[in-house]
Amino acid sequence: MFEFRFYEIWRSPEYVDAILNGCLTSFTLTLIGGITGFIMGLTLAIIQLPQNPAIIRLASVSYVEFIRNTPFIVQLFFVAFGLPLLLDYQWSFTTSALLAMTLNFSAYFAEVIRAGMNGVKPGQYEAAASLSLTRWQSLQYVILPQALANVLPSISSQFIFLFLTTGLISEIGVEELTWSGRFVADRTFRDFEVFIVLTVLYMLMVYIYLGGFQLIKRWAFPWWSDRR
Amino acid sequence: MSDTEAAEEKFAVEVRAMSKWYGDFRVLHDINLTVKDGERIVICGPSGSGKSTLIRCLNHLETFQQGYVSVNGHELNEGMKNVEAVRRDVGMVFQSFNLFPNLTVLDNCVLAQRKALKRSKLEAREIAMNYLERVKIPEQSDKYPTQLSGGQQQRVAIARALCMEPKIMLFDEPTSALDPEMVNEVLDTMIGLADTGMTMLCVTHEMGFAREVADRVIFMDGGVIVEENKPDEFFDNPQHNRTKTFLGQIL
Repeated sequence: MFEFRFYEIWRSPEYVDAILNGCLTSFTLTLIGGITGFIMGLTLAIIQLPQNPAIIRLASVSYVEFIRNTPFIVQLFFVAFGLPLLLDYQWSFTTSALLAMTLNFSAYFAEVIRAGMNGVKPGQYEAAASLSLTRWQSLQYVILPQALANVLPSISSQFIFLFLTTGLISEIGVEELTWSGRFVADRTFRDFEVFIVLTVLYMLMVYIYLGGFQLIKRWAFPWWSDRR
Repeated sequence: MSDTEAAEEKFAVEVRAMSKWYGDFRVLHDINLTVKDGERIVICGPSGSGKSTLIRCLNHLETFQQGYVSVNGHELNEGMKNVEAVRRDVGMVFQSFNLFPNLTVLDNCVLAQRKALKRSKLEAREIAMNYLERVKIPEQSDKYPTQLSGGQQQRVAIARALCMEPKIMLFDEPTSALDPEMVNEVLDTMIGLADTGMTMLCVTHEMGFAREVADRVIFMDGGVIVEENKPDEFFDNPQHNRTKTFLGQIL
């Protein structure tokens, strides 16, 4: 029967370091990509509002459709290898990874936020308008806070899902957790144990993020209650 | 020429031969209505008669396709630019309250004062508390709307509209979504407001309220103003069959 030998991993500080660094890289890259992706997604969703000119709405919709219907790995390779050729400027693989994640996350977030804005009752727009707030003011102070509160659970699960796909950025040599796992497995031949450890670490990080989302909910939407 | 100008000036609301369509369906048919400053109008009629649509045209929440409408001296038309200027003079209270759930009661009242009227925070808060006291709800100012009863929410909505110090107040079935025991607190607030001389147009089926405060009652059916009279005449001696049938059903 198979014998688990986890100590092969702990034995060398080099391996432990690699795994811890991998965790840190995965966690921070996803966090930064999540924040920039959210900001871009919010922008894309706002652009899609019916009051905007058809041409820029179409551009935003097309972008979101394109990203959501193509593989992340293709987007990643395009940003890491294609774009530098086109622009004749080479940036680091970490930059590529962040850029690709931002572009990718933003499309998913845009879709969720757009649905959230559609979900705000028309009476809210009317009340804001009747108080002679402009469209932009209504959006900023009345509609968006409610839309974001509505979709916070969807945003959080979407974010976790995207986090779990970031292992793909190891494909361009970014030394994140999946990359570290391979690094250790290649040297110890304990692939099974290594990936069990990775699984646990990914899960732990997911719970840290989920805790963060709970804090966001309490801090940003103190008015939110489930009875409505 | 000077006649029409003088006439325009003294009307808070002037509607001439106004019609509105939803696609092919004509919801408002050749409406004529003038309201003087300080007048209180009650509009009633069966559902689908166009009464809500009519008052929603007055603050440009709805547009109309034909006729002339002016509100407090501003002429309204489709695609007009400075809608906010009209709405500054016109407050509105909705059937479903439409308080902003993401803001406290106080901030509901403060927001538009700050953003649309550019009042200072201090001034806006002072005015808000003043009106919250008038609707007898100042102690709830730090709560969120969902923590309030329906009647309380509607009183906050009235205070929120009054904070903008409008010249005209529109009420769109303000008590229809309320539990019966909360109707009176809202009506009392509206009666109090009427006593201050506010120009009011109320879509409501509260006939007791109509008798007590209205200067004129308007009955609409099928997008048409069928009958218009002083409350006593309207209730005791309705002229049209449709009015009689309607009154028979609701009284």
